[in-house]
This record gives sequence, C-alpha cells and structure tokens, in this order.
Amino acid sequence: MQIREKILVIEDEKSIAQFIAAVLSENGYETVQARSGAEALSMISSHCPDLIILDLGLPDMDGLEILRQLRGWSSLPVVVVSARSHERDKVTALDAGADDYLTKPFGTNELLARVRTAIRHTRTTSGNDEIAQKGTYTVGDLVIDYNKHQALVRGENVKLTLSEFRIVALLGKYAGKVLTYDFIIKELWGPRAGGSNQILRVNMANIRRKIEKNPAEPEYLFTEVGVGYRLAEGE
Amino acid sequence: MRFDKLITAKLFPISRRDLLVTAGILLCTIAVCSVLRLAGSIQGFAPPVFVLAVLLVSRFTTGYLYGFLSVVLSVVCVNLIFTYPYWAFNLTISGYPLTFFVLMTVSIITCSLTAQAKEQARLLAENEREKMRANLLRSVSHDIRTPLTSIVGSTSAILENPGLSDQEKQELLENTREEAQWLIRVVENLLSITRIGDEQARITKEPEAAEEVLGEAVRKFRRRFPAITVSVSIPDALLLVPMDPILIEQVLANLLENAAVHGKTTTDIHVSLQEEDGFARFSVQDNGQGLPGKNAAGLFDASTTPPRPNADGDGKRNMGLGLSVCRAIVRAHGGTIDAKNLPQGAEVSFCLPVYQEEL
Repeated sequence: MQIREKILVIEDEKSIAQFIAAVLSENGYETVQARSGAEALSMISSHCPDLIILDLGLPDMDGLEILRQLRGWSSLPVVVVSARSHERDKVTALDAGADDYLTKPFGTNELLARVRTAIRHTRTTSGNDEIAQKGTYTVGDLVIDYNKHQALVRGENVKLTLSEFRIVALLGKYAGKVLTYDFIIKELWGPRAGGSNQILRVNMANIRRKIEKNPAEPEYLFTEVGVGYRLAEGE
Repeated sequence: MRFDKLITAKLFPISRRDLLVTAGILLCTIAVCSVLRLAGSIQGFAPPVFVLAVLLVSRFTTGYLYGFLSVVLSVVCVNLIFTYPYWAFNLTISGYPLTFFVLMTVSIITCSLTAQAKEQARLLAENEREKMRANLLRSVSHDIRTPLTSIVGSTSAILENPGLSDQEKQELLENTREEAQWLIRVVENLLSITRIGDEQARITKEPEAAEEVLGEAVRKFRRRFPAITVSVSIPDALLLVPMDPILIEQVLANLLENAAVHGKTTTDIHVSLQEEDGFARFSVQDNGQGLPGKNAAGLFDASTTPPRPNADGDGKRNMGLGLSVCRAIVRAHGGTIDAKNLPQGAEVSFCLPVYQEEL
C-alpha cells in the first residue's frame, strides 16, 4: 500500500473540519482532526503529521500560540486558515512562521494547491528542487539563473539590476509562497532598513515591466494586496 | 453635584488650543492698535477693533470662558494703553461702562450662537448617519435574505427528495454555491464599511502601486467569471497612489462584478488606469445593457435607491449596497466616482488624488 502524507486539521468548527478532511482524503491524503489547541499539541507529537492546517480561532487558545510553540522545535509546514481577513492578521501569521495563509471562505482547489506547495517546500532544503540540482528555477517562459545572476524570458536575458535580481531570486527560492513586504525588505536590505515599502514597490514595478507581457495582468509575479508578493509555481 | 461640574465644564472648558487662539487674537489686536497709535490715529478706533477681537475669540473658542477672558483683557487694554491718558487706569472716562457693556454683550451673544450652530451641525450629522445606517441595514438584510432563501431551499430539496436525478442535484448545488458566493461579497462590503468607521472617515493611506491593486482585482475576477474577456491598460510609468489597498481592491471588485452581473449581456470588460491632473483615474467599461435610467447620480446612493423587490424581474441583485460602499470608500480617500452610459454598455470610473494631502 502506498504511503500517504498525513495532514492534521486543527479546526473547532465541525462542519468546516469535515469538509476539509473530505476534500483531502478524496485527493489522497490521510487526515486526522483536532478540535482544540490542547488536543492539537498532543496530536502533533503523537501522530507526527507531514502538514498542519491550523484555524486561528480555537476555543482554548489562539492558533498563533500553537504556531509559536511549534516553531520552537519544528519546521513542520503549517497552512493557516482563518476568518480574520484583515491583512495585518495574515502578516502576523506569516511572520510567526506560517507557510501559507487562507482566508475563509476559500475554495477547495485553492486549499489543495496551497497544501501541495507547502509539502513540496519541505522536501527540499533550498525550498526548491530545481535550484538545488541545476541552479535554475523555471516557470512558464521565465528562467531564473542563480549561477549567472540573470533572468531569462523566452531565452532572452531581461537585464535586471542587482537589487531587482535579488528580489526575483528570493521569490524564486520560495516560489508559490507569499513573502511579506517586511520579510523581503529584511532579506535584501538588512534588518535596519526602514519600514517604507516604496523602494520595493518601485523595484517590483520595474521587474514586472521587464518580465511580464502586461504588468497589470501578471503571469509570474503576483501581489497579495496589503501582504506581500508571490512568484508563480512551475508544475 | 456631578451635574454642576458637568455644566461648569461645558460652559468653561479649558483647552490649550483655545488658550492659544485667545492669546493670538488679542496679541494681534494689540499690535494693530499699537501701529494705529504710532500713526497717531488711535483716538476712538481702539474700542471697535477690540469688539472685533472679542467677537473672533468668542466664535473660534468653545464655551464662554475665553470670551469673558478676552472681554476683561480688552477693557483693560483699551483703558490702559489706547485711551488718553496712556498707561494710566482711569475709570472715570465717560463711556467706559458702555464699552465694557458692549464688549460683554457681543461676547455672550457670539458664544451662544456659536454653541447653537455647533450643536445643530452635530445633530444634523447624526441624523444623516442614522438615516444612512438604517438604509444600509434595510439594503443588507434584503441582500442577505434572498440568497439564504435560495440556499436553504436548494439544499432541502436535495436532502428531502432522494429521487432527484444527478443533473437536477448538480443544478441545485451550483445555485447554492453561486448564492453563497454572492453572500461572501455582501459580507466583504460590510467589512469594508466597518473599516471606514462611522465617525469621520479615517483610513490609513500608504502610497501603493495602483497597477498591483488593479491587477489583483482583475485576476480574482477572472477566476470567478472565466467566460468574460477582460482587457487591462495602464500607463508606462509606475503610479503610486496613497490608498488603503484592500478597500480600493474592494471597489474594483464591486465595479467589475456589477459590470458582469448587471450588464446582463456583458462579454467584454475594459479596465484602465490613467493619470489626469494629479488624479489617478480608474475606469471599468463594459459592453452590456447599460445603466438603468438616465440619472447616474442616484445610483450610488443606498438611500435614494432602497431595495425594490422585483424591480427588474429577479429583484435579488441589488446594486445599491455595492455602489454606495464604493462611493463611501472613494470619498474617504478624497476622490470622486462617476457613472455614465456608453453607446454600447456602461462606464463607471473613480479618481483618487495622487499626492498625499498634508493634514
């Protein structure tokens, strides 16, 4: 029998937990469910799941608290699911170590895509197989060449500046995952770089004009409004 | 006892701003009179200038305290500095009690008029807000009840009729999903309203790349309405616009959805962004049936277009809430929104100021 990935669904709302579990088992994952924070913490250590789907509003504790405790000893992928739709909540969860964030209500396709991405990221150390093996990342017509420090669209070098390349390279390393503005700024310009996102916005606009056919209809570089950026994932 | 204190506090509130205003106005007045005196034409002019000062103080401060204060100071000044003999307090000058009396009356009347006007403006604003809230509530409960009815109906039909064919079940479930998605929109609009707040429209604006917000709204729209073609055009240069990006995305989402749902026959939508004299102009054009009626202005007002059941056949998709939310959001950004019919279809556009206004 095939070994299946085990997913722990931490959600106190029974109907939602059941619908998530149904969709996941239908798509070849094994699921276990926890209804409270305390139950979840004990199940994490007893079941050793491959991924956690975490609801932030639990009856006994804040989901963020579970996330912080977990991040103390494990890098297990966590997809946060929450009805808190303010972008500040998304940023908090992502910065606290969540791998991804889904706002309720969400569609099943979206859920499955995020789960696949999160699991894929844990399989490779650099976050991306292709980068580790060949030093490149490919999605559609876009190739990021980490050895030569350039980006190619349909085989042609699009001549990014150094900081533009570093942004694209960073997004490529975590392709499919939303990186918050703060995270990108800190990775690129150090922890003491100011809070202003404007330099990032301007760089991003320039990158889009070089890479995308129409910068307002991006195929590769997506914006998560108010939260951060995400690079499309190659299948 | 506490009531007494309250009244005292209301009639004689102490605030640093008012104190500064009073001091400023009086100092200016003294300066003006000093100049007049140096020019040798002060005799007889000082009292009216001080009347003006008292009037201004009473008008631009809260309560009676600063008015009284300025009256006393004015009388002292007029007597001491600007009436012969200078630099001497002379209570026997004829007309002195009259000056004092006139100043006092001016102050009291202005203060009470100012207080009245403020109270009236407050009541008016409160009334307006109440009215808006009531209309919104009516519009919302209508927008929520109709899809809920359909959801409960469809799911009950499936559960209670085991004999339904797969195709019938499929159709009912599709209806359910569509109605639920409509509900999501309604709830998102409500969240937007709570975000604007009901006191003064205060939102946190940051310079955002307009094209990113536009692109994201279009991307989400395409996922929901794959059958409709959307084309997007933006300027070559990056346009940074101070905005709350989530709210503006909501406006664009509403406009796009309206174009698709209310246009009825819409197959193409064109979304564009332009810079026009210090404003960023977002526009959504469709090739549908156009807007109902000639008057586009009433369209945005939930209070002038209360939900009319069966207004246009189905009566369930009510534009009022979505558009009034759009207008509230755009106005809170200091922008304008406008709608008009095109030869084929309709265009709704809104403009946001590109430069951050100084507070």
